[in-house]
Amino acid sequence: MQRMIPVDKLARPEDHILLPANRTRNARSEQGLSPGNAMPYEDDFLKSRMHGICGGEFQAMEAAGRTLYDFPDAPWEFQLDMARQVWDESRHAEIYMKLLEYVGSYYGEFPEGEVLWSCTQAEDPAARVAGINRGLEGLACDVFEQLIRIAQKMGDKIIERSVDYVLADEITHVRMGSQWMRKLTEGDPERFKRAQEFQDRIDELFNFGPGRKHVEDVDHVKQRINDKEIEIDSGITIAREARLLAGFTEEEIDRLVKGFGKSAAY
Amino acid sequence: MGPQPIAPIVEPPPEMFAAADRLLNALIRGDRTTIEAMTPAHVRDEMMQIANAIPANKYDRFELIGRARVSKHYFLKAMLTGTGAEPFKFQFRLGETDGKWTVREALNLTGRRSAWSR
Repeated sequence: MQRMIPVDKLARPEDHILLPANRTRNARSEQGLSPGNAMPYEDDFLKSRMHGICGGEFQAMEAAGRTLYDFPDAPWEFQLDMARQVWDESRHAEIYMKLLEYVGSYYGEFPEGEVLWSCTQAEDPAARVAGINRGLEGLACDVFEQLIRIAQKMGDKIIERSVDYVLADEITHVRMGSQWMRKLTEGDPERFKRAQEFQDRIDELFNFGPGRKHVEDVDHVKQRINDKEIEIDSGITIAREARLLAGFTEEEIDRLVKGFGKSAAY
Repeated sequence: MGPQPIAPIVEPPPEMFAAADRLLNALIRGDRTTIEAMTPAHVRDEMMQIANAIPANKYDRFELIGRARVSKHYFLKAMLTGTGAEPFKFQFRLGETDGKWTVREALNLTGRRSAWSR
């Protein structure tokens, strides 16, 4: 079996639409929408956000599996952690498949993006976990915390509790990433620096410039979700409490908000 | 029974499917006029590359094998088949403006990943 699967070799069923991010951005821009992800004020927000997360969970499951396979000489405990993560992510994918049904969607209604898989393209396990576990799973903490608050405003316990369950796992994945990034680079500051730089690039990619705001600083917009009109965030927020639980420092969180995209392993 | 859906599934408009049928039939027939009429100028080159890659009278059936939407635009994956011909697969995006559905981008999938095996 091939090691280091590149982005253009990620396999999917024939009936699946898998797109590079620029094609989705173009399609959104042409319709007068912000080019990134669906924003909280859009009609399709819940469906589209759940769909994006579901695709992310599939790719996170594949990524942890690939990390296990790609680095056979990594410590046994590292491999065990990756295997556990595959199991966690597969449960998350199942949960989000169910949540998609719940919000009136299905997997495949929207295109799947390739951008998450592009974050696996590191040939060092330390960089791989820095990018995926600290960069991407850190972002997942932000996205999930916001979704939980939206569900609370909707009065929807199904979404609130399901996402909270997944968030609890993501926090452990970030901690695991920090631990392995440090351990694998022990006594090799150059290797640590390269892993950190890989994570920085991913943080920058998903930070939407200085786009993430503290929950208390973000503006709000009124949005009708099904039969309820609620006030929700107008942009992406940062999950300070969840990130602190995951081991990010206050300084790292502030840097992400300011858009520096640098979050050294604690 | 479990929790029931809180919103209905969004069904694609029939006009979108009608436009896809029109385009695919035109490609099979080699009907350049219809293809051009459905293709804005900035997409014409890529659409014509696909039209040129489809030999006339070789395909007689088509199937939409994949579909996904970005808001109100639809990405469609189509397969043309005919006796003794290699299936031809391509992907395109349809969008509607002022009641008219047109092709917004098109990509020949020949030689590209489009299934488990690629």
